[in-house]
Amino acid sequence: MDLNYVRRLIKLVAESGVTEIEIEEEGKRIRVAKSVDHLAVTAQPTAFVNPFPLAAPPLPEPKAEKKTHEITSPIVGTFYRAPAPDADSYVQVGQEVHAGTALCIIEAMKLMNEIESDVAGKIVKIHVENGQPVEYNQPLFSIELT
Amino acid sequence: MFSKILVANRGEIALRVIRVCRELGIKTVAVYSEADRYSLPVRFADEAVCIGPPPSKDSYLNIPRIVAAAEISNADGIHPGYGFLAENANFAEICETSGITFIGPTVQQIAAMGDKALAKETMKKAGVLVIPGSEGIIETAKEAAEIAHEIGFPVMLKAAAGGGGKGMRIVRDPHDLEKSFQMASTEAGSAFGNGSLYVEKLVEQPHHIEFQVFGDKHGNVIHLNERDCSIQRRHQKLVEESPSPFVDPGLREKMGAAAVKGAKSVNYLGAGTIEFLVDKDKNFYFMEMNTRIQVEHPVTEQITGLDLIRLQIEVAAGQKLSKKSIRPRGHAIECRINAEDPSHDFRPSPGSITDLHLPGGFGVRVDTHCYTGYTIPPYYDSLIAKLIVSAHTREEALEKMAGALEEFTVEGIQTTVPFHRRMIRDERFRRGTFDTSFIESLEVQA
Repeated sequence: MDLNYVRRLIKLVAESGVTEIEIEEEGKRIRVAKSVDHLAVTAQPTAFVNPFPLAAPPLPEPKAEKKTHEITSPIVGTFYRAPAPDADSYVQVGQEVHAGTALCIIEAMKLMNEIESDVAGKIVKIHVENGQPVEYNQPLFSIELT
Repeated sequence: MFSKILVANRGEIALRVIRVCRELGIKTVAVYSEADRYSLPVRFADEAVCIGPPPSKDSYLNIPRIVAAAEISNADGIHPGYGFLAENANFAEICETSGITFIGPTVQQIAAMGDKALAKETMKKAGVLVIPGSEGIIETAKEAAEIAHEIGFPVMLKAAAGGGGKGMRIVRDPHDLEKSFQMASTEAGSAFGNGSLYVEKLVEQPHHIEFQVFGDKHGNVIHLNERDCSIQRRHQKLVEESPSPFVDPGLREKMGAAAVKGAKSVNYLGAGTIEFLVDKDKNFYFMEMNTRIQVEHPVTEQITGLDLIRLQIEVAAGQKLSKKSIRPRGHAIECRINAEDPSHDFRPSPGSITDLHLPGGFGVRVDTHCYTGYTIPPYYDSLIAKLIVSAHTREEALEKMAGALEEFTVEGIQTTVPFHRRMIRDERFRRGTFDTSFIESLEVQA
């Protein structure tokens, strides 16, 4: 058996997510197995749930036919759909917007910050509820680009 | 008592605060930058809020985002840790006006002690001996020269708004004064946004000895003995111990009384540290006061039996301090383990820790936020762990530290562990006859 071949096999197992590989050809058989250590730590990114009561940021949706642009929160605060409790919402799903259209308010430290769209397109999804706390970079709106 | 505390920090100190809150039944909120998403403090806190991208100025130094995070999580207290916003009077003030308790001293105390020149004046008025020097800021090199002639060369030019060794220049020759003045001022301006300087007499080969003080809301101020932090590299502490091998009970009583007098004169609240320089004849001079909990607080905890973070929270919640200062029992030593490469001028060594094994046993304590598989981000300071040992005597503590360092294993990155192993074997360190020039001489040998 060629030593280089064996080396390449070992490298393949070590670097991939594969734990064990067994190959048999021309009467020769080789099995390379990775001992499982470093347990849950490597699985961490998906296993770890942000325990904050905010909804966990939703996974990106499967690619739509047109490109969607995510509007994310630039600050930490409370999300509001309308400029005042009894006023109409800034935008609705399905509404066309352009760069500069006000989409929502995020309140932080008693200051109201108007968040504007930086693109032109159609609002296809609103990710947060009125009055919900939001953190930095949390997705707020998905806009389908025109 | 607080019901929820937001920890405005990261790394080992954030974890430290979260652990104490858990003991006290206080809920915790961790704020984090995107670089710290998978850090232990974020995992162990009850709640977590992402406050920005990795750079400190957009996250851990961003006051509006941190305060907003406290608002949306309904935290009633904020613990600032050390570094970052811990000594930012503006931050403390905004917390107060937002109705959130800043766990630390008052806004006025932070501002007064943060100005190094003003702090000296304040202590002098309280009758604490200070290093001879200018009364406040000096405007020109000419003024500096006049004062230097009065107090005698060599002198030290220091940044009024500074620390950490920046904006400092030693001047031995009067002819170098003007140039040194310009350079120090420029350096201070870019490091701290304030180029103001003051002059001090240079205390040669000083011992850097600091006293832990604590004040409550009822006017009680106590000291919790000294820490010797003479082992420094470029004015950054590497090793600390308590008690100091240089301080005998008589000197401790005098310095302790001076520390309490100074702190009481401003009605100090919370944890604070008064730094003294001590010359070879055991004359001590006030140098500066730090209005925060310090990195090296564990050595004081080990020799007093008090949890200082817990004490900070209790005092901020209005509890009374016991009026007595506590004598030191036993001996404790701390080594700061940094992600730095000692064989390449201590350059930072961020990256993934592929294997971490920590020492243990009676009298061995490790404060760390690291774990096997953890990636150290390159955006923040390089402290990855504090190794603290305590024993009945200094000799025993040295042996225990040597053993603990032998066992301490970090793979995947470079650390200062090898450097500490060399240092623990050094005769001068073992004898306790070191001063702040020690590290330079050790480096030259290596």
